[in-house]
Amino acid sequence: MNKKEQINKLIEEAISSVDTIKRAEAKPFLLTRINARMRKETESAWEKAGWFIGRPAVAFTGLCLILLINVMVVVVNNQSDTTAVAEQSVQTPADEFSYTVATIYDNENTQP
Amino acid sequence: MNQPELIIQLQQGDESAFKKLVDEWKDMVYNTALGIVQNADDADDITQEVFIQVYQSVSSFKGESKISTWLYRITVSKALDHEKKKRRKKRFGFVQSLFGGQEEEQLHPVEFNHPGVQMEKKERAGELFDALRQIPNNQRIAFTLHKLEGQSYQEVAEIMNTTLYAVESLMNRAKTNLRKVLSSYYTDKIPEQ
Repeated sequence: MNKKEQINKLIEEAISSVDTIKRAEAKPFLLTRINARMRKETESAWEKAGWFIGRPAVAFTGLCLILLINVMVVVVNNQSDTTAVAEQSVQTPADEFSYTVATIYDNENTQP
Repeated sequence: MNQPELIIQLQQGDESAFKKLVDEWKDMVYNTALGIVQNADDADDITQEVFIQVYQSVSSFKGESKISTWLYRITVSKALDHEKKKRRKKRFGFVQSLFGGQEEEQLHPVEFNHPGVQMEKKERAGELFDALRQIPNNQRIAFTLHKLEGQSYQEVAEIMNTTLYAVESLMNRAKTNLRKVLSSYYTDKIPEQ
């Protein structure tokens, strides 16, 4: 057998070597490892969130944001209080001189 | 339990349905991953990742394809991603080693022995797996699904989301390229007579 024939034979042997291959089996306790990994991933997600929030820049920005929201709420509340007082002062004389429409019942029962 | 029922139970978060899914398809997922990454530990990691993804994304599974097809797709995608990550790590490791860091990690072990190969064919199979690393990904995937998992061309086409004709073409090219790689390997190995 010359070299070329030898090579061709080896190539065919190599390609057909997986024709009768059996399926490899997964390692035991796969489900246990999957569950452990899922738990670990959930825990690490919270750890990451905690680490992120705990960073000084993030914490300081968060604090400033909360303060800003508080200040805005106070300012908006003050403005709405002033408007309410003004509306009330206009409403009082209007109530005093108001003309109330008499109902049909009042018209029919003029006598006490 | 048929597949639609199993999917409904999985979508409801039924733990026993998930156990059934893992028990039924773990070897298929592991064998496919092993054929692609050629490393038992990496294949085990990928198998875990596949089932975690299935657990997390089963609510979006519409049941248009078979569960096995869906699992094959996730496995192939995870295995290729794993190789990409490892290659990136290897490149980074090489740069680190230049600056006196850790030794670079190998993408594949020097010699891979698939546990399902018959003893007398181990050597040739090892050479074939070595050659498989040197052909394009889509040809390697088609070859792995057909030869290692025994999937028909039609099933391979569904998994790879392509046509039957394209799979036939991929398989022909895979065999041609494997012959080329192996020929070059054996030419160097066998002494002149």
